Amino acid sequence: MDILFIEDDQVERMKLQRTVSKLQLKHNITEAKNGEEALEALKSNPKLPDIILLDLNMPRMNGIEFLKILKADESYKYLPTIILTTSQNRADLLECYRIGIAGYIIKPLKYGDYESKLKKVLDYWNTNELVKA
Amino acid sequence: MDSKEVQLLKKALERQKKARKQAERILETKSKELYDVTYHLKQANNKLEGLLNVKTSSFEGAFINIIDPYIVMDLEFNVINMNVSAKEFLGYDHTKEDINLSKLVHKDYINYTAESIKVLMEVGILKNYRSKIVLKDGTEKFVEINSSIIYDKSKKPIAAQGIIRDISQENEIKQLLAEQRKQLDIIVQNSPLGIALTINSKIIKANPAFSLLLGYSNTELKSLEIIDLFKNKQDVTSLEFVRTLKSKETDNFSTINNFSKKNGKSILAKTNISTVRDNRGEVEFQVAIIEDITQQKILELQKEELLKDLENSNQELQEYAHIVSHDLKSPLRSISAITSWIKEDYYEMLDDNGKNNLSLLQDKVESMDKLISGILEYSTANSSDLKNTKVDLNKIVEEIKESIYIPKNVEVIIPKSLPTIKADGTKMYQLFQNIIGNAVVHIDKKNGLVEVIFKETEDFWQFSIKDNGVGIAEKYHKKIFEIFQSVGEKERSTGIGLSIVKKIVDRYDGKVWVDSKIGAGTNFHFTLKKLI
Repeated sequence: MDILFIEDDQVERMKLQRTVSKLQLKHNITEAKNGEEALEALKSNPKLPDIILLDLNMPRMNGIEFLKILKADESYKYLPTIILTTSQNRADLLECYRIGIAGYIIKPLKYGDYESKLKKVLDYWNTNELVKA
Repeated sequence: MDSKEVQLLKKALERQKKARKQAERILETKSKELYDVTYHLKQANNKLEGLLNVKTSSFEGAFINIIDPYIVMDLEFNVINMNVSAKEFLGYDHTKEDINLSKLVHKDYINYTAESIKVLMEVGILKNYRSKIVLKDGTEKFVEINSSIIYDKSKKPIAAQGIIRDISQENEIKQLLAEQRKQLDIIVQNSPLGIALTINSKIIKANPAFSLLLGYSNTELKSLEIIDLFKNKQDVTSLEFVRTLKSKETDNFSTINNFSKKNGKSILAKTNISTVRDNRGEVEFQVAIIEDITQQKILELQKEELLKDLENSNQELQEYAHIVSHDLKSPLRSISAITSWIKEDYYEMLDDNGKNNLSLLQDKVESMDKLISGILEYSTANSSDLKNTKVDLNKIVEEIKESIYIPKNVEVIIPKSLPTIKADGTKMYQLFQNIIGNAVVHIDKKNGLVEVIFKETEDFWQFSIKDNGVGIAEKYHKKIFEIFQSVGEKERSTGIGLSIVKKIVDRYDGKVWVDSKIGAGTNFHFTLKKLI
């Protein structure tokens, strides 16, 4: 799968990379540090990602702002977007589902838990029929 | 004398005789006539006298039979005659004793009585003489007497007669009415509410508060209608007011309007109109009661603003708590991850001490994570809205049993099915979870038992969570509900759980307390006010 991973925290980005390589998953991960970077990445690459993993709390353009732009765009709005966040704020969760998301994953504290959670998410989406651009 | 002369004398004598006879005859006739006249007169007189007697006696009869007391007295006030009701009323009987009416007059009325008698003597009649008298049995009565003088044939006054009316009761009622009226007046005059009486919308009377409220004198108000005092006669409430007032369909209604004072300033006032109807149901008066609510409104607005501010800052605080929690948790996740990686990547190179230290680091990170979650929970326990719905507490407890760590030797039971209550489901979950979660991990017995019990009073639900665990020393019974106060042996305890419990219980106007002895187990009790 082509995954667009939007995350400002370096260690978080390392966590995903490590998880994918450790599990020997054949996924192509494009990283973006915030919403603005992510939009640029989408525009610059004619091939759209299969799924987007999106953090919420980010500088410059946060996850929800990015999500709104994404869902308002005719070609981007079909991209399955999964929130990957530390925020347990129910208001955030409701807002995200209102705008339109494909999942809401809370980052667990322990790395081991993170690994197993991410494996399930990636496996699930890998099993899905995806809108290939 | 010659015969001719004799003849002449005889003739003359004859004529004289004749004349005398004639005179006698005339006299006789006249006398007869006179007699007849006298006779007739006498008869007429008799007839008249008879008539007079009849009249007098019927007159007397009328008085004797009259219901009101009737008395005839001489000019020294001694009773000559009195009717039955006079005897009954005064308690005296003139046939048995001498009565002097002057002695009956109450001492307060002696001067007035003397003046009244003077008037009676001069004018011959006295109307509506009112005074207090003392009866034979000592009781005092208010009486009204109408009296007149009786004269003899030569127009000389010989006696007086009078009809007495007992007006004691009438007087009492009058006094009572006057008293009540006075009291009512005091209320109306001193009322802080403006009160006006209107007939056909026109103000006919207003109390001082009304004048003061609007700055118009009583006289000025009399030319006005209530609607004239409104600041804007054409707005919706004013038009509705007039419509309701004129339609006379409701006997009681109220509106809130801006009034214009005489000096041009405006006040906001609540007007209440009550309609007073007469016996036939026709509108007699309308009473307008006006209350100045300008200050009240200002306070209300201030309150609303404060509430809004409070809501906003609550909202901000909650958001702040979430952000802080997120920002603190993120680096923790990183530390945790990196620690794991060191452990994984350099496992072979680390000695036992190094491995142990990394494990300790992970534990500390974990407890800090818990602490942050606890603080977040604590701060949101207070500020978020309560979404009160029907909550089946049996289900809540079951959910808790599934989600928390319960040691194998411990059983959580509900001896008697719990009620379904009106409350916020999430808060109930937090509440029970914190207490049950505490109970299950503090049991050192082989067979641990945690019971969830309830009882119901009129206004409250009372729940008890009873365990057979280690117990809590009495000196900590208050402390455990304070934030960050952990008294357990467990290192993982953050000291936040029970302060969350207290916060939630406070929000439901309840109480939380604990019964416990070291070694004998703990019984947590809390109450929740029933919501309607």
